[in-house]
Amino acid sequence: MTSIRSAGEVDLAALDRPLAKLCLNCDLRDTPDCREAACLAGFARKVLKFAISKGILDIPGAAGLIPGHDFKPYYPEMIAAGLAETCRQCRECRDNHSPDCVISLVRHSLENMILTENIDYPGSVFAYLAAVKERNPDLAASLAKQLRSGQNSA
Amino acid sequence: MGRGLFKQKNGLYAVDVTAACGVMTPAQLTGLARAAVDNNAFRIKLTTRQTVVVLLPEGNVSALEEALEPLELQVSPFGNVVRPVKACAGNSSLCPRSLGDALDLGVEIQARYLGRETPKDFKIAVAGCPRGCTDPYCADFGVIAAGNDRFRIAIGGMGGSNCPRHGEIIAENVPRDKVFTVLEHVLERFEVLAEPREKLGRAVERLGLTPFLPPAGLLSAEKAVLAADDEFVQFLQN
Ligand code: SF4
Ligand code: SF4
Repeated sequence: MTSIRSAGEVDLAALDRPLAKLCLNCDLRDTPDCREAACLAGFARKVLKFAISKGILDIPGAAGLIPGHDFKPYYPEMIAAGLAETCRQCRECRDNHSPDCVISLVRHSLENMILTENIDYPGSVFAYLAAVKERNPDLAASLAKQLRSGQNSA
Repeated sequence: MGRGLFKQKNGLYAVDVTAACGVMTPAQLTGLARAAVDNNAFRIKLTTRQTVVVLLPEGNVSALEEALEPLELQVSPFGNVVRPVKACAGNSSLCPRSLGDALDLGVEIQARYLGRETPKDFKIAVAGCPRGCTDPYCADFGVIAAGNDRFRIAIGGMGGSNCPRHGEIIAENVPRDKVFTVLEHVLERFEVLAEPREKLGRAVERLGLTPFLPPAGLLSAEKAVLAADDEFVQFLQN
């Protein structure tokens, strides 16, 4: 039987799991310096929390709020696990990709942790992987491994 | 103004019934179903314009029409008029992808403009995000939500034609109340400039987009509201 597409199809909780691991490994955790609005992992988690509470998949204008000055070191394999989950959850809207889509917001935040420039998301996972490989072959290899493993192992 | 009553090949009549951009309460739907049964309807068909066609014998048409009014439904106006408005499920409670209240806007546009005389049929489509589930670029007047109280407007689209064309964008970041101002302006220009029975898109091809553009003063007071969702900004800071 054909299933009707619903918000439930995008698993926002699954997207949060690798982000939660990044938080757990952060030196600022539970300190007064932990400010979600200024932290890439914190921002991405807030996005997900907000989207889950509202039942929405796009937050108008949120792409403009992604922190630009979070230079904390993050573990690359944890970032790859998060990016892998964005690949799993992405609906591949192609021409209709929205930078304010919550999946895109998480992807963008994760990219900012490791890449010097953002990838203009092509709306397709295949084209995205090629773009990551061009910029950071190690990250691409780790991402491919995560995708092959089919789960978040980081 | 013509009305959506059409004789079919098999002799039955098709009565085109309009609700609020295709949204009915269960009471309206069961009321319509009851009226259809009571009037020997053969079939009911959903249309691409989010209306409902009831097929029934000619002798039952007026009884069906009488049953519509108490249900707050109506026979669709037809011909060279503003047609039933198509709007998607984008609003604050329905489609999770919506960037603005498309459905509510569509319902209000329909309430204010349905049946207004135009040089040629005038179709309006409203979508809650660029995905455009209602094909706004195929409508004479397409509205696409772009964020909080921000809409993009395209005009001159024609989906159903031998020579289809996509609408062209004439305004961005238009606040909800100004969508009505732009629509009013486009309809006025259309009435003045179009040849008899000329589609808006063809008039745009003949005259260019400029004569249909909202005058600078109409939107100039409006600064583009590019701010992020207020509620999210607050949530982020807490
Ligand atoms: S293609 Fe873009 S808009 Fe569509 S689900 Fe993926 S990230 Fe979101
Ligand atoms: S156009 Fe956008 S908001 Fe409207 S139903 Fe389609 S996806 Fe949802």
